[in-house]
Amino acid sequence: MREPFKIFYSIFQEKTKLREYVDSGRRVFGTMCNNVPEEIIHSLGAVPIRMFGNYGNTNLANSKIPSWTCNYARNVMEAGLRGDFDFLEGVVSATTDDTKIHLFSAYRFYIKPRFSYLVQFPYVRDEVSEEFFARELERFAKHLSSHLSVEFNEDRLSASAGVYNTYRELCGEFESLRAEEKPKIRADEFMALMLSSLSMLKEDFVSMADNLPEMLGDHDGFSDYRLRVHLSGTDFYNLTLLRLIEESGMAVVSDDLCTSAGYFTGKVEGDGFRGIAERYSGCTACVMTSSNTELSVEERLRFIRKKIKENNADAIVLLKDRGCEVCGHQCPWIVREIDIPVLVLDLDFPLSVEQYRTRMEAFVEAHGGG
Amino acid sequence: MENNWNPLGYKNLYRELFKKHLNRQNELLKNNRPVGWFFSFHPSELIYIFDVVSAFPEQYSAYCAARGSSVDLIDTSISSGYGHFLCDYFKTTIGMIEAPEKATPPLMPKPDFIISSRALCVAHHEMAEVFARYYGIPKYTVNYPYWTTDSLKNPDELTKEAEWADELYVEYTVERLRGLVDFMAEVAGEADEEKFREVFRKSEKTSELLIKILNLMMSKPTPGSQREISDLVFIAFFVLGSDYALEFCENAYEVIRERVKKGEGVSEEKHRLLTFGIVPWHSLKIYQYCESMGANFPVNLYVNASVHKADSSNPYMSMVRRSMHFTNSSYEMLDGVVKTARKADIDGALLLENTGCRITSMIIRPLAERLREDLGVQSLILEAPQCDPRVMPMERAKTQIDAFLESLA
Repeated sequence: MREPFKIFYSIFQEKTKLREYVDSGRRVFGTMCNNVPEEIIHSLGAVPIRMFGNYGNTNLANSKIPSWTCNYARNVMEAGLRGDFDFLEGVVSATTDDTKIHLFSAYRFYIKPRFSYLVQFPYVRDEVSEEFFARELERFAKHLSSHLSVEFNEDRLSASAGVYNTYRELCGEFESLRAEEKPKIRADEFMALMLSSLSMLKEDFVSMADNLPEMLGDHDGFSDYRLRVHLSGTDFYNLTLLRLIEESGMAVVSDDLCTSAGYFTGKVEGDGFRGIAERYSGCTACVMTSSNTELSVEERLRFIRKKIKENNADAIVLLKDRGCEVCGHQCPWIVREIDIPVLVLDLDFPLSVEQYRTRMEAFVEAHGGG
Repeated sequence: MENNWNPLGYKNLYRELFKKHLNRQNELLKNNRPVGWFFSFHPSELIYIFDVVSAFPEQYSAYCAARGSSVDLIDTSISSGYGHFLCDYFKTTIGMIEAPEKATPPLMPKPDFIISSRALCVAHHEMAEVFARYYGIPKYTVNYPYWTTDSLKNPDELTKEAEWADELYVEYTVERLRGLVDFMAEVAGEADEEKFREVFRKSEKTSELLIKILNLMMSKPTPGSQREISDLVFIAFFVLGSDYALEFCENAYEVIRERVKKGEGVSEEKHRLLTFGIVPWHSLKIYQYCESMGANFPVNLYVNASVHKADSSNPYMSMVRRSMHFTNSSYEMLDGVVKTARKADIDGALLLENTGCRITSMIIRPLAERLREDLGVQSLILEAPQCDPRVMPMERAKTQIDAFLESLA
């Protein structure tokens, strides 16, 4: 990993920015899902960050929640039980899948945060549901504003939406750089950027990373690959596996991960809560919400096809966490319906690195051309 | 051991109930009525209001588990690329779709439409999507909230009547339910207003009897076996609103009432255990094994979750109430369960962790903690997927139960 990315990764790993915020009296809220509308938290002067744990073994968590749940959930629980999140003022999750709902409940039960809220997602995008969702977001804002004793203000919400949109544009620029014929960002570097951006205020990330696209633009880019791949999955954040993918002769040119493109794709276009509601029920890759005439898996397939086309991917690497229910239900449809080769990796942690390497190398041999 | 087991004798009542249910299905199929697939906590009254053929992936999968075909069907699903740690009901149904020759007949009829909901789990919604895509059929989704302490106050563990529920969530759910009625009218034709009221009246009476039966189960000694009581979920979930459900409950109530009046129990009672978790349909004899040793089950929280007090004067609120069970509520809301456990005077708990079911499996440890902290009651947690006997070999389960009962003695 090159130098500037190392700095970003250390922000995630060492929680350096978070410590600064806490030390300066800012209140920090942890989110358990990429679909938590962070703009609302941000508009009330608080700091929204995504909760992550990074433990190979999750022994404490396994005594509280089943060991077959996804790596993300077990790690958040493990980190919570070990006290890693003691600095948090509260936690927010969403009813986007069963694990996120019950992780929220279990976290509340065992760790007892000072504030907690579960955002109720509609699974349908129609007028009634959009209206409900906007009112639900308003309800969330009221609860949070009452907890923080900070008055809610629509202008501030609009300003926060602007900050997040700028951030999303910047991520889009990074995305374009990795999609070039000679990609200018490695997969692990891209993920380091994403993870750091999930661990600090978006305006701070933008001011730190704003000059990076220009700097990277001058770079020649990488041509040491045989296969351009799209990464599909959910709450994935393991850099070792990303390095392995690229060491095996693949270049990651796009993704639909909840920790990356599934998080930053799609801007808030409309005003107020309705604008936020429309963005969150309509733009992300993994959310189970769809229009009345379509299924969410169809929307996900469309999202993936678009990314593949825009970024010229030749194949898909599907990261199927063994405990992820979204992957568990949708994976066969991605394999069946996307018309390029797919490598499905059943993910279990700790990683069996050599087994994965063999499979990746064989995949590149089969589909990587000359 | 068998001598110390004296069930209520609901077997014949169930036989009659299933016969009538199947006759209705066959009659409607002959008349080309549309087929719908539904899930638990769906407002089953609508099935009878709109005269549609109903099929339930959960019930069919339980049937396959009881008949021994579910293992092959689960393996078929995993071979097709679906996740291992998903609901057994989903995997068994996928197996039926992909390899019908391995499934126990009669198979579920092909659906013309499917109703998805989240009154229990997002998995219902996720699996409804998959099934809808297989068959290319329309799907309607009902969003229920996941209740938390800031949206629901003091729901009764059996009736699901609550002191207060947040209007925003109730209103939205009612809107979706009204949309469901419109959707049903579109696929099955308009229903008669009087029929709507009549079905809900039957549902109300049936629900009252179910609640009475479950209350009587808490008598001392425990009057019935969980081999019989656990099947009440079929009535509460799937056929509530039908004539035959009402008839069953009237008879079943009389039987248990007589039993309680006489002071007879299912066995010579030594222990009173609470149980929770989806029933392991492949190994129902696990209950009989415990009961034969004097460990009876006055409370099955899974069955309790399935019932609610239907209200014919307010049918839409009644449908919303179905979602106000503790498995659809945040874990600080276990007070109602503790109250029931206290009332039943339990001295232990057998909790079943259903691998792949995030709902039952994730709440089990908090439940065990509350029972220990509030009542000083210990729990035995067994890993027991509802359709896959490989994870819960009976002999191993018996050994664990023996040791647990010995520790209670």
